[in-house]
Amino acid sequence: MRELRYVGTDAPRPDAADKAAGRAPYIHDLSRPGMLFGKIKFSEHASARIKHIDTSRAERLPGVRAVITGENTPELRIGFLRDNFALKKGRVRQFRDEVAAVAAIDPDIAAEAIELIRVEYEPLPAVFTPEEALAEGAPLVHERDADGRPVTTNLLGVQVHHESGDLAAGERASKHIVEGEFSTPLIQQACMGTAGCIAEMDVRGNLTIWAKTQIPFLAQKDFIRALEAMGLSGRNARVIVPTLGGAFGTGLDTHAYEHIAILLAHRTGRPVKVVYDRREEFANLSPRQSARTRVVQGCDAEGRLTFRRVEVLQDNGAYTSWGATYPTVMLIPATSLYKVQNVWFDAKLVYTNNTYAQAMRGYGNPEVTWPIECLLDELAEKVGMDPLELRLLNRNTPGEKTPMGLDITTCGLGECLEFAKKSLDWTNKRGKQKDKRRGLGVASLVHVGGSGRIYRSDGGGVILKLDDFGNVNVSYGGVEMGQGLHSALTLGVAEALGVLPEKVSINPTDTSTCPWDVGTHASRGAFIALNAATRAADKARKKIFALASEIYAAEAKKSLAAFQKKNPSYQPPAYDYAAAARADNLELEAGFLFPKGAPDEPWLKMEIGKVLRALHFRGAQGQMIIEEAFYEPPSTLPDWSKGVGNMSASYAYGVQAFEVEVDTETGNVKILKGVSAHDVGRVLNQQTLRGQVQGGLAQGIGYALYEEVKTHEGRVLNPSFTDYKIPTAHEMAFPVDIFFAETNDPAGPFGAKGVGEPGLVPTAPALANAIYDAIGVRIHDLPITPEKIVMALKNKKKG
Amino acid sequence: MPFDYHRPATLEEAWRLAAADPEARFVAGGTDVMVRIREGKITPRALISLSRISDLARIAIGPTVVIGAGVRVAELERNASIRHALPVLSQAAALLGSTQIRNVATLGGNLCNASPCADLAPPLLVHDARARIATVSGAREIPLATFFVGPRASVLAPGEVLSAVVVDPPAPTARAVFLKQGRVRMDIALASLAVLLETDGQRCTRARVAAGSLGPCPMRLTETEAILTSGTLDDATLARARAAAESEVRPISDVRAGADYRRHLAGALLERAVRSLLNGAER
Repeated sequence: MRELRYVGTDAPRPDAADKAAGRAPYIHDLSRPGMLFGKIKFSEHASARIKHIDTSRAERLPGVRAVITGENTPELRIGFLRDNFALKKGRVRQFRDEVAAVAAIDPDIAAEAIELIRVEYEPLPAVFTPEEALAEGAPLVHERDADGRPVTTNLLGVQVHHESGDLAAGERASKHIVEGEFSTPLIQQACMGTAGCIAEMDVRGNLTIWAKTQIPFLAQKDFIRALEAMGLSGRNARVIVPTLGGAFGTGLDTHAYEHIAILLAHRTGRPVKVVYDRREEFANLSPRQSARTRVVQGCDAEGRLTFRRVEVLQDNGAYTSWGATYPTVMLIPATSLYKVQNVWFDAKLVYTNNTYAQAMRGYGNPEVTWPIECLLDELAEKVGMDPLELRLLNRNTPGEKTPMGLDITTCGLGECLEFAKKSLDWTNKRGKQKDKRRGLGVASLVHVGGSGRIYRSDGGGVILKLDDFGNVNVSYGGVEMGQGLHSALTLGVAEALGVLPEKVSINPTDTSTCPWDVGTHASRGAFIALNAATRAADKARKKIFALASEIYAAEAKKSLAAFQKKNPSYQPPAYDYAAAARADNLELEAGFLFPKGAPDEPWLKMEIGKVLRALHFRGAQGQMIIEEAFYEPPSTLPDWSKGVGNMSASYAYGVQAFEVEVDTETGNVKILKGVSAHDVGRVLNQQTLRGQVQGGLAQGIGYALYEEVKTHEGRVLNPSFTDYKIPTAHEMAFPVDIFFAETNDPAGPFGAKGVGEPGLVPTAPALANAIYDAIGVRIHDLPITPEKIVMALKNKKKG
Repeated sequence: MPFDYHRPATLEEAWRLAAADPEARFVAGGTDVMVRIREGKITPRALISLSRISDLARIAIGPTVVIGAGVRVAELERNASIRHALPVLSQAAALLGSTQIRNVATLGGNLCNASPCADLAPPLLVHDARARIATVSGAREIPLATFFVGPRASVLAPGEVLSAVVVDPPAPTARAVFLKQGRVRMDIALASLAVLLETDGQRCTRARVAAGSLGPCPMRLTETEAILTSGTLDDATLARARAAAESEVRPISDVRAGADYRRHLAGALLERAVRSLLNGAER
């Protein structure tokens, strides 16, 4: 490989200036000529029969252009199991069920019209916990599945199970065994930009939708299906992704509000915009799934892990999103976080009448890492061993094949643990500051680092189009949602092609202009995009060199003549143009084409734009440089019934550790110092990567200490930032020591692994372990609030 | 819902507008009123803004401290005279909301909203502040402690305006502190407590304790005060005072915190406040 010029630098993100200046157009800023504003009427019951919907008053309100319900529109089925409908007919199963919608000439009229819609309900029995839902004779959330077959249980058909080795033998070989049940709550993704879309249809019935999505091409498929259901077979759905203010998993499904916008646009013949306000976002956008996880694990007398049993129970809510595939990712920490043979894993998802849940950053991983890492500390205590040393002893290593069948090609877990140990002065401080109510805690993570195959293609394509001015336009079907994909892509394309980063621009994501991509999830954006882009860049270089070799000598001679005209006394060195201009002897670097080993003469170096113009304007031989590549990672779609398969091309490891001080009177936890150490394969952009890691840490701290969507009988009780607390600058005002282990993974572009999600995976257990070290109290249910700490201390005192 | 918006320059004009439209509502910074309008909890036909009435925005430090109801929270936080005369009020002001909220919210708005969690109420209650109420027919002063009558309810009758808060200068030995517990720093108080002590050696000669978010409205904890002044202020007395505070408050359980935790906080914050005052960490 050539020496890296741009990859690994701390170049500012290409989107930073416009975002800081308020010029980046989010969905909220977009408008279309003649656009109407859509608004949704949500259910007022968690479970009820819809007896009657009276829309007559709303229809008469001046400015209203359409009022739709499930009764007067085609049935649009949505969701991972197609158990959901854009508009509900006859029955609601959760508070946020969409029962009607309006389109009006302004948002205030739309809001007023919604209030004028009267819905008569007949309340039905409901279930609000997985236990209630699984009890004998429990009311069914769905009486039939998507194919119309009657169902007899609230248990979802989606099940992931894994057994490897011999669990009983593992237990027998154990000197120490620990077990415990741990829970994580519903979490709001709390995107800066709320959900929204604009749907627009042409006269022929083709749809264009500006959507806040992470899966433009799977969304295209969903929307084409919707068009078919509307009698518009053969029409296209074009998905355009505007600037996104964060997505964090909320864009992995298509949503009812998008389908409602499509129905309204079709009904009115006008573009229709639906945007949630913050309250709607909190109450009506699917949060992260809650989970209750029971883990049993053991070790021998020396602290070597002997077995692990993981049992997960999840509240799915009333409908099913892609988040139902959480257990596929839960398997990764369950089977592959530290070396452990003899693993048993089972996950159950249960329908309830709560708000239905969807994915969020980490995708099941934090939910399972939380109990595993808490219980590792308990195990270390039983062995009488330092918990960090126990982790070092059991750490994963390169070349390992884990019980799930993951091929660990590279692994920097040991380096990350050693860094945390040194950074926090672990040996001198851990367990030795109880008098000051200070403690240290550590936890590790493993996550997919080379994409994660949960669909039949895990690929993505890139098109590079070079223009007459040496600009490189990059088309990629994945999504920049604030994570810095475009930053990595810009530097990587410049590096791979040999042009200046400022000449590289990334086109807006648009299904009509970009090649297919499965979606931006599983920390795969930069990994896939750059693997495709470097391949496209190689093709482009080959083509440029082949064509340039035909014109190079003539062009160089022209340059020399011009140079000599300005410098009449100049005597050029003798030069063999024919040999120099051979395609395999040409080089492109920093935007200049030149023969390898050429003397340092200005007339021998040709600016790439000039070369491209020369290739373009060659009469009948004129050519453009446009290259594409589609990259499919070398991974396998696991067999989920066995929970085995190498789902990623590489695996990312990492460690977080904290020093905390606990106020035992108020229960407040003060973080004195944090460490976030990650095996990233290779740093693509220092600044962006640090931002990713810092942001993940903040989100992880929110998850660990503050955040919870609270519900009562299915109704969200805290639908605003007044009562849903996320960390602010004040909570993040502690030093963070960041470390990147560069393990240079063979599958990674420039050796890089995906690192989008890891930043929040081990945060909660690392903090819980630090709190335990400080005050000897362990909280099993997130978030670890001051109230829970105080109450646990009181209970401990009572003994 | 749309509403009319009036911006009178004088109180007289404000009263005329209020008399003309009984459904109009006074507003100052709007940080509470606008939120409630947006949530559909109130639907006033008109708002009468008091923010252009310059008389309401004055701070006068003379024989008494008079702080206009229109004074911004940020001003209470930063104003040198206030910081000198009533440091505990500045302390509480600095913990109210965000910087942006403090820049528009007012003293009068925080008190008239009459929320149990009003951050500015406890520090004023420990200073025995008086509320100056202006009406068309003249002004009257009442103890701030009697201003609040319940959650979001004050003694103000229609047309009455809280024009200022009046505080007698504290004794030279008086020290006070304000403590607030939120879920994060920028939060509505789960519990807050202001404590003022005047001490003479080991004895506490005067004590004032006022609590926020620990009852239906900001409240004085008079039994706790009595114990603090009952004799030598030693650990045993403090333990009794702590128990009194915990039994004297009337917290509720809600989405923010449980009543048990709030009750615990009443005691914990009391002990912390008293100890910090005795250690001379606060003035």
